[in-house]
Amino acid sequence: MKHGKYPLLAAFLLPALGLYGYFVISPYAQAFVISATDWHGLSNEFNWVGLDNFKRLLSDEYMRNALWHNALLLILLPVITIVLALFFSSMLNVHRAKGAGLYKIIYFAPQVLSVAVIGVLWKEIYNPRSGLLNGTLRALGLDGLAKTWLGDPAVAFWAILAVMVWANVGFYVVLFGAAMQSIPKELYEAAELDGSSRWATLWRITLPLLWDTVQVAWVYLAILALDGFALVQIMTRGGPNFSTDVVGQRMYDVAFSENKFGMASAIGVVLFFLTLTITVAALRITRRERIEFS
Amino acid sequence: MKRNPFPQAMLVIWGVMTALPLLWVVVTSFKDDAEILNDPWGLPGELRWSNFARAWSHGNIGKYFLNSVTVLSVSITLTMLLGATAAYALARYDFPGKRFVYFLFVGGMMFPAFLALVPLFFVVKNAGLLNTLPGLMLVYTAYSLPFTVFFLVAFFRTLPTQVAEAAMIDGCGPFAMFFKVMLPMAKPGLISVAIFNLLGQWNQYLLPVVLVSDSEDKYVLAQGLAALAVNEGYRGDYSRLFAGLTLAMLPVLIVYAVFQRQVQSGLTAGQLK
Amino acid sequence: MTAQEIRRRTVLGTAAAATLAPAGLLAGCAMGSDDGKPKEEGQANAKNPLGVKEDAALEIVIFNGGFGEEYAKSHEVMYKENFPKAEIKHSAVTEISKTMQPRFIDGNPPDVINNSGAGQIDPGTLVSQNQLADLADLLNAPSLDQPGKTVRQTLLPGAVETGTFDGKTFILNYAYTVYGIWYSSKLFTDKGWQYPKTWDEHIALCKTIKAAGIAPWTYQGLHPRYMSWPVISTAIKFGGQQVAMNIDNLEPNAWTSDAMKQAASAWHQIVKDGYILPGSPGLDHKQSQTEWCNGKAAFISCGSWLENEQKAVTPAGFNMVVAPTPSLGSGDKLPFAAIRGTAGEPFVVPAKAANERGGKEYLRTMLSLKGAKDFTGKVSSLTIVAGAADGISLGSGLDSCVKALKDSGDKGFNWIYPVYYRKLERNLVDAACGEFFSGRIGPDEFLTKCQKGADEIAADTTFKKYKRSA
Repeated sequence: MKHGKYPLLAAFLLPALGLYGYFVISPYAQAFVISATDWHGLSNEFNWVGLDNFKRLLSDEYMRNALWHNALLLILLPVITIVLALFFSSMLNVHRAKGAGLYKIIYFAPQVLSVAVIGVLWKEIYNPRSGLLNGTLRALGLDGLAKTWLGDPAVAFWAILAVMVWANVGFYVVLFGAAMQSIPKELYEAAELDGSSRWATLWRITLPLLWDTVQVAWVYLAILALDGFALVQIMTRGGPNFSTDVVGQRMYDVAFSENKFGMASAIGVVLFFLTLTITVAALRITRRERIEFS
Repeated sequence: MKRNPFPQAMLVIWGVMTALPLLWVVVTSFKDDAEILNDPWGLPGELRWSNFARAWSHGNIGKYFLNSVTVLSVSITLTMLLGATAAYALARYDFPGKRFVYFLFVGGMMFPAFLALVPLFFVVKNAGLLNTLPGLMLVYTAYSLPFTVFFLVAFFRTLPTQVAEAAMIDGCGPFAMFFKVMLPMAKPGLISVAIFNLLGQWNQYLLPVVLVSDSEDKYVLAQGLAALAVNEGYRGDYSRLFAGLTLAMLPVLIVYAVFQRQVQSGLTAGQLK
Repeated sequence: MTAQEIRRRTVLGTAAAATLAPAGLLAGCAMGSDDGKPKEEGQANAKNPLGVKEDAALEIVIFNGGFGEEYAKSHEVMYKENFPKAEIKHSAVTEISKTMQPRFIDGNPPDVINNSGAGQIDPGTLVSQNQLADLADLLNAPSLDQPGKTVRQTLLPGAVETGTFDGKTFILNYAYTVYGIWYSSKLFTDKGWQYPKTWDEHIALCKTIKAAGIAPWTYQGLHPRYMSWPVISTAIKFGGQQVAMNIDNLEPNAWTSDAMKQAASAWHQIVKDGYILPGSPGLDHKQSQTEWCNGKAAFISCGSWLENEQKAVTPAGFNMVVAPTPSLGSGDKLPFAAIRGTAGEPFVVPAKAANERGGKEYLRTMLSLKGAKDFTGKVSSLTIVAGAADGISLGSGLDSCVKALKDSGDKGFNWIYPVYYRKLERNLVDAACGEFFSGRIGPDEFLTKCQKGADEIAADTTFKKYKRSA
């Protein structure tokens, strides 16, 4: 493919790179520079403060609290989402449950809802008095399980996590479903003849063959867990008592309600390196890099 | 083999959990404000189509809808064109700095978009594109590239090389090869990623708020709905808001339902074997 | 060098390049340009005391929230009557900060901004960054339609202090808001209940209300700061204006003063004795206020926007009215009738506005009796212009506000730390209130937590500090 390689590369890469560099890289690069200033984002006046913003972050207990919640999300969101999605998609694709086509459309539905709608909706579901959740629990005689949900620091975080899982499972059902279709049927037929249970089939056959896709899913979900704060912003703004605070919410508050763009950019830079580290780690484990760049 | 009812029950429960909210939004859009607030889970007393009329005309949803369609028809096309060409170059050619370029693109997925907002405003302004729909089209495209490139690089790598080699022997030039051979082969992957971009850009809110602010004539749907939602916090025309939400949600759902099989097959073809 | 090391270096290299490469381009970008437009200025005369240039264009940006934008359009018409050659550009947005901030940096802000709503630009920062015009000349100019009075003399007492920073007024808060405890006068008449004037009466009434099968209280659980208002009001009425002053000035132990302790332990009783509607901590403002409108709870703490906000769900004949917080005892420094009244709905004229004088003239138009009456009539809210609500028929809630203000007279009080340090109320005191009113912490811990928040702000050099002495 030597001949004519560079004209094609130039024609194919430069427009995308140009647009990307101009509208994405350059603003982000400016954000890196801003993180070393005390800029308030209202005038052209600012002072260089070096690493002061980062030092402040290190000793900020609210930031630590928010980071802890992100760390929890980083582990729990992918695990729960992937387990549920694997289960559903193996039911729909391998075991051909009745109405599989319909389920596939319905499960994806939360993906078409904007975050604002999801927030409004779940606030009503979690309403401790007239909400669907407590209503259902009381109807089942489980009054002891009825809670104030978003109003209780011990519960609110888990309530938000549940919404995140709810909103994302559908996408991964589709993703895993696609992967499962490429697994040869004979493998499953053999398993069924051996009398292995659904769980055993999932565990011994499907999962190993899907491992690459699962890793990709984990990377997407990890990125989401780190900067997906829109739901928090709409449902609790980090409350009650900072029990649902996440780094994205910290950054939003610092930027737009405290007008400290230097500090907010520093939080963004920290977030960037965290995400980068985790993604690279995950990519390395999956060896996708080697496959792509051998 | 004995049939355990548990898995089937789980499917149904999850189905209800995801379908119910959609129904709730649609049903709520027929209620009046007192019904929405006093009895959030009740049925509407009557079918109030006037909510939709109010959302469409008074809430300007019609205009916003048209703007969204205009912007997305260009930005999705552009995203796919630039994303596919760049991904193809990265997937099928070797050149110095290739890894750097790849990480440059993929790194964009890891940075929270709202941090770039203020610098982006000036970048767009300096280009003379502030408060214009073309500006929005270019920015949407640029911010969709990381995911598109990430996805399509993996996809192009999985396409068989034999076809390409055969085409080369037939004297097919590199450009013709891409458009005549590779692009058609990549169709399923392109459709999948186009649908995901469509979902993302349709619900995009932050970028238009900052980049198109001077007149409501240029608002896109997500932005217009958010403006309505903010208003409801103070003024309470919830029925109009929910009617607007329904109008915004249904087209995307329909597009997804129609292309559902292609999305699935695109993802299937994109799997690493 | 191993392959892994190379990979790591590539990743870091990418990030480093992204940081450094375009640094040279930065001049002229986000933090760069600042070419303010030349000022439009005309000759001052008796009819035009601020010296507005007659044909200078005027740009007004309105927050499209609870008050909508229609009221502003009539103010614009009034302005145009006096300056027919002026071209007025009107826009209404919901995200003030995100849309206006770049224009400030650009040195090209509009002439008047209604800096309001959840997405407002932090007022403390606007002032500390010298982005706002001093409104002294406006306040000292003659009123547009009240001969012989300056604008300042036409305003309600305390109208300008919420916009005053270190002695200079930068923000004009146009609407007048009354904060108190709200109840349905119909419910109280039907049941034969009397609004309590003292704390003991209040607790006794709570007992009666609860016995009648109604929860005495509910509150905006997801925004618990609403409950900090009655606590602080109770403390100020007990300990005098100094209590508020100390809090605003971030004095050490301002939150743990004796008055605050008395107030907090009194309020703790409604938590302890179960007088709060179950589930309240998990309700947002709309949900809790709707429960209240439906008669599930008797009292709720709110500002005078409540009536407008609840319009859609308030049953006919509900007759919501506002009342001051009960007095702790006979030792209170302020009388029972003293109520928290304060100016809200901020309007600013940016320091770099091209038509700064026109912007101020526009505010003068708003502050005319005619402009204020029009506003009150259109959006059912009081303004800071004294007497502008006279003769206008308002709802039961606003009528009760007018009456409460009259009864309160010169004993009214207010605090402005939320204007100086938005974060202190919105994040820190808010969190403490949530813990306190859901019963997870007691009054001492509550105040310690608030004090800790205030101390953090005081120690944080990135916040500019303001002091007030009146």
